[in-house]
Amino acid sequence: MTVPRPATRKKIKDKDFELIQAINSGQFDRFPDLVKRYEQKLYNFSLRMCRDAADAEDAVQETFLNVFRYLKNFRYETKFKNWLYRVTASTCIKKWRKSKFAPERELSLDEFFPQDETEVPDQVPKWALLPLDKLLNDELLDKINEAIFTLPEKYRLVIVLRDIEGFNTAETAQILNLSDANVKVRLHRARLFLRDKLKGYFENE
Amino acid sequence: MNKNEHDHKHCLELFQKLSEYLDNELDEVSCKDIEKHIKDCVPCFVCLQTLKRTVDLCKQTEDRPVPEDFSKKLKEAIQNMPKMPPAG
Repeated sequence: MTVPRPATRKKIKDKDFELIQAINSGQFDRFPDLVKRYEQKLYNFSLRMCRDAADAEDAVQETFLNVFRYLKNFRYETKFKNWLYRVTASTCIKKWRKSKFAPERELSLDEFFPQDETEVPDQVPKWALLPLDKLLNDELLDKINEAIFTLPEKYRLVIVLRDIEGFNTAETAQILNLSDANVKVRLHRARLFLRDKLKGYFENE
Repeated sequence: MNKNEHDHKHCLELFQKLSEYLDNELDEVSCKDIEKHIKDCVPCFVCLQTLKRTVDLCKQTEDRPVPEDFSKKLKEAIQNMPKMPPAG
């Protein structure tokens, strides 16, 4: 009788695979290449999470130092990028918990659904009809960033990962250790929250 | 359907699924249900269009460059890290 071998997971060979293998085989001078590859992405992700530039810098530095320490434990069971964002997100979450004690605000669907007839729209507003390039300008981009900052953190994490960083639902769920269903619920509420902020901005313009 | 006939129950049911619809994460039956509904329901059509535009705008946000001082500081911090033995 043959003893079944334990199932071994297939290694994910993404664009970082060779570089990580080189670093883990002792070529530590290649680590700055990995930093260069992700520094800007992680800086901007952390900035959107922490808002404060100094906190974002701390989060990025802490992330890379942890990655340097624990890279040898990386098993290629996920894309390296996803693992990296997982470390960064958890660093940012720890920062919030240290700086705040207030419970997070929950967003409910009811607050975004038109409750009475006066709120029910009867035509598509201009801002949703104009070609994107006719609408976009620095002021609007600032407004969107501002609106993202006002989202409670757990919703902000999801919308930034999904709609700005471009991760899909399953990847976002893996990064944040949530179920797919939970990611979808948070994403929808976050988008509705931002839509209301944008609506307010365009109505007052 | 005009705004006075806005059927809250059905609208609310579809309202919950609009993001999944935009992300192509809904089954065919639910997609057809939404498409049929928004043909007649102006408020829900407006809701879908404004939500879609919100997502499109979010995707347009740009990344800031990393401050040079920080880049330098990070490089130094990494250089000062004790080197681990290679993974086995």
